Amino acid sequence: MSGYKTRRGKDISFIIGITILTFLGILPLFHIIATVFINGVPIIAKKGISFLTNTLSNGGIGPAIAGTFILIFLSSLIGLPVALLVGIYAYEYPESKIGRATKTLLQIMLEFPTILVGVFVMSMIAIPMGTYSAIAGAFALAIILMPYVAVYTQEAMREIPFTYREASFGLGLSRVKVIFQILVPLSKRGILTGVLIGLAKVAGETAPLLFTVGGLYESYPASITEPVGAIPLLIYTLVQSPSKADHMMAWGASLILLLIFLLIFIPIRLKLKEVRL
Amino acid sequence: MKEYAIETKDLKIYYGKKEVIKGINLRIPKNTIFTIMGPSGCGKSTLLRSFNRLLELNMDAKIEGEVLIFGKNIYGEDVDPISIRRKVGMVFQYPNPFPHLTIYDNIAIGLKLNNLVKSKEEMDKRVRWALEKASLWDEVKDRLYEYPASLSGGQKQRLVIARALALKPKILLMDEPTANIDPVGTKNIEKLLFELKKDYTIVLVTHEPAQAARTSDFVGFLYLGKLIEVGPTKYIFEKPKNELTEKYLTGSLV
Repeated sequence: MSGYKTRRGKDISFIIGITILTFLGILPLFHIIATVFINGVPIIAKKGISFLTNTLSNGGIGPAIAGTFILIFLSSLIGLPVALLVGIYAYEYPESKIGRATKTLLQIMLEFPTILVGVFVMSMIAIPMGTYSAIAGAFALAIILMPYVAVYTQEAMREIPFTYREASFGLGLSRVKVIFQILVPLSKRGILTGVLIGLAKVAGETAPLLFTVGGLYESYPASITEPVGAIPLLIYTLVQSPSKADHMMAWGASLILLLIFLLIFIPIRLKLKEVRL
Repeated sequence: MKEYAIETKDLKIYYGKKEVIKGINLRIPKNTIFTIMGPSGCGKSTLLRSFNRLLELNMDAKIEGEVLIFGKNIYGEDVDPISIRRKVGMVFQYPNPFPHLTIYDNIAIGLKLNNLVKSKEEMDKRVRWALEKASLWDEVKDRLYEYPASLSGGQKQRLVIARALALKPKILLMDEPTANIDPVGTKNIEKLLFELKKDYTIVLVTHEPAQAARTSDFVGFLYLGKLIEVGPTKYIFEKPKNELTEKYLTGSLV
């Protein structure tokens, strides 16, 4: 009987142990969200809707929000098609030399220091153009976006049971039709999850923008070949300032960034129309 | 010389270095149900997949010898595997209608992507025809735009049969089509096979001798990659010539 009691004691202490550690692990997340709301809500409440539309000297972050959306849009335009094709390639030719190399390279790109991407794009685009620009920032972000979407695409397609692949080819279809007309739509949920995670990542990136977009907070962007701002970059700039008012603005901008992030992320949780097998 | 639906000449199949089909000569007459039976792992599914070149999805598989479909070697150099698969339809062990497509679209997709119909009316007609042919129309006509998840296993399998029939193939390959189906569903599918025999040649793979006895005109017994015995079902079941066949049929084959 005593053996049973010790085992039971160990079991309970183990469960209590992992519960506490799990709690400690996710605590920072809740702390961050709470702090951002506590500090961000007052400034936005004070400024009202103009916080979202005015320029910086008028107490708003309108141009930065516009810049962030422009950057998300442009980087998707550049990055998503490439990412989808790369992901499909890695799925379809997993055994080929290029296929295997692609998978390894994608893994490396996922973990690649983002600031180096910024430096690279600066030397490749910003310097030759002679100016910071939205297009340079979008390129940098597209490079960050690409591996996420590609890896998720490949994984989503790899999860399709082999029998559906056989069924598709069994209908006398070419490989291109099998992939693009049947297997990609079949795994669209997984692929969309990857797209959204990539977008959420891109929306919050700062380092790749440091040397590429320049920043623009006193007027709305007019051209993609001219400098633009971005919310994370604005936060970075504002926090460095000694002024208390700037810090308040940074908290407000942080809250907006968090909301944009959640806006992108929530659909993933809400399960985009699940396919039932 | 009589033309067979399927004829193999010294067919050998390897996975890597391992020989899984060891020189098979087989003749399958038109408009019959021909059953390939044998214990698990004897190569039945592999053999079946060589009849429509679906085996090529497996990178390791290598094929030697000939497979003639209506007298033409489908492994000839100028043969497009896609055209073969259109002529030789296939039904699988696991009922696999595309889960993201409606019942209607499951039938329509092969036709649409192969550009086989010209108008919406023609498509409607062909979808209905295929579902009727597979004895499923009455059960699904009011819910063509629902997803196959709502169907029973046997209905899903008949939907898959309809999907294959819609392309108007000449031959239907069936890889243990009732392995995952309940007895009622199995009975319906077997009944359907008799109907289909009039217009199609059916090659059925099963590990159940009883099913072979119930459904087929001819039986081939495959064991460890070799064709042990072939003949009309009646003879094979009543007077098997080979000892292995007899052992298999009496359940004493290890």
